[in-house]
Amino acid sequence: MMISLQQVQKKFGARIVVDGLTLGVPRGEIFGLLGHNGAGKSTAIGMMLGQVWPTRGEVKVCGHDVTTQRARALRRVGAIFETPAFYDYLSGWRNLEILSHYSAPTPPERIREVVEWVGLTGRERSAVKTYSHGMRARLAIAQALLPEPELLIFDEPGSGLDPEGIAEMRQTIARLHRELGLTILLSSHLLSEVEQLCSRIAVLNRGLKVFEGRVADIKVARGRVLLKTPDFAAATQLLRARGIITGAVDGNGIVLSEGRTTAEAAKILVEADIPIEGIWLQEQTLEDFYLNLVKTAGPEANRN
Amino acid sequence: MFFAQLRNELWKLFGKKRTYIGFGAFMLSQAVMLLMFKYTHWQSRLEQLLAQNGYLAAEYISALTVALVMLWPQIALLMPLYVTLVGGDLVAKEAEDGTLRMILSRPISRLRLLLVKWLAGMIFSAVLVLALGVIALGFARLCFPWKGMFVFPQPNSTFGLFPPGEGLGLFVLSHLFMVVNAVTLLSLAFMFSCFNMKPAAATILALSFLFVNVVIQHIPFFEDYQDWFITHHLECWYWVFQQPVQWPQIFQSVITLLAASLTAFVIGAVGFQVRDIKS
Repeated sequence: MMISLQQVQKKFGARIVVDGLTLGVPRGEIFGLLGHNGAGKSTAIGMMLGQVWPTRGEVKVCGHDVTTQRARALRRVGAIFETPAFYDYLSGWRNLEILSHYSAPTPPERIREVVEWVGLTGRERSAVKTYSHGMRARLAIAQALLPEPELLIFDEPGSGLDPEGIAEMRQTIARLHRELGLTILLSSHLLSEVEQLCSRIAVLNRGLKVFEGRVADIKVARGRVLLKTPDFAAATQLLRARGIITGAVDGNGIVLSEGRTTAEAAKILVEADIPIEGIWLQEQTLEDFYLNLVKTAGPEANRN
Repeated sequence: MFFAQLRNELWKLFGKKRTYIGFGAFMLSQAVMLLMFKYTHWQSRLEQLLAQNGYLAAEYISALTVALVMLWPQIALLMPLYVTLVGGDLVAKEAEDGTLRMILSRPISRLRLLLVKWLAGMIFSAVLVLALGVIALGFARLCFPWKGMFVFPQPNSTFGLFPPGEGLGLFVLSHLFMVVNAVTLLSLAFMFSCFNMKPAAATILALSFLFVNVVIQHIPFFEDYQDWFITHHLECWYWVFQQPVQWPQIFQSVITLLAASLTAFVIGAVGFQVRDIKS
């Protein structure tokens, strides 16, 4: 595991911000961390980076305890935050030099290589205050790449970016994963981005983890079947009577019984002369899943 | 690595425009004071004072005398202001701007980070004090001749008169102790800066601490407890002009100031170590 949290709790005064969080991010995955504002995502990331001290529990990054072996844990870690902050009065190059020296001595060749990778070549000697938002985002990725990381942590990387910027960020994250083979933890509000990028997600709600699992499983396992027919009531009555479905929703959806398929449903309807204009499995979007989960998950939600 | 990190801190510090506010303010105020010395009754009053004591006034109204007189208000008022301004910025400004979070996502320890920042602050303090002295002497030399040095009397002491060479030596020596003063003031603001507060709050708290010290120090009841006030020890730079020089007293003050600086650093480091860094 690249990141491992065991029963982590964080209190600010009497307020519990993260409670009993157990989380594992396997090597090589893009892992999404979802949750509303104040759910505890940034605090959890802060604990992974040794910026926030856990009240209780164990936080390990790259196999090392962050609390006691912070330097070892973060040696091959890069982080990118919501609004990348730089020394605006200095050049992009100088910023990279400064930030890289907090990790390890970095030769100019490495900086040049990274600048080229993120596409800032030609502007690296300009003051950061002259950079556009997108260029700042690229500089943030460059600084995170300098220590040749194995793990990249993105904390709300799309915030403040325009649609083109968001798309560029998504492509960059995918590229980082594909070309450099990095493990990526992505905390984001942009559910569509998480859905497109992540293989696994965890959802935090009021400091508690209410879900952890594969994105593909969410789409299929919790999907529903859409049935388009002029006589929806008759169709669902027949399918229910034959034990094919367990229920109907919203006047156009059916819930298949365990082990039943859309082909079986279609066959029965055709044999009964009920016209079918369409029948297909609609994958549940991450947004549907997330909103439903957060709506139903209260303080008594599933603790890990 | 340590020196590269220190160099980086200096880049950050001296790359900011606000770092130079102090230098600019020194130049401006010294230019104004110089004009006042040149074109007011100040010279004639000094001539009278020297003549009354049997000295030839023309020998001591010099660049060294004027430079020293110009230093007093700068050291007492402007230097604390600008040094604490920079000291208060060192950590708190980075926290406010968000760059601290970027730094602390890297494997550098918090103690080491503070150490390089503190050292960079010390270097700034030394540069500021040296610039102050050079500017004062340079400006004074533009309008006054290179002659002996007159030093205004200090409490429990008479005035001092020094030939140019000795006067210059003492002038330079006094700057060494002024650097210690500046480092102490910077450390104080730096300590507050390490806690969760705005940079301006750190500066104001440090200045308030000094102000309270000055006020209490000058209450007659506390006359016998001068050694307990940091502002009393901050005067040590001027004691080098006493004849004979009270070295034990000066060293006691220097050690007190250095100990206070170290204490401030340790308190700041402890506060910084235990605090959570959040966006």
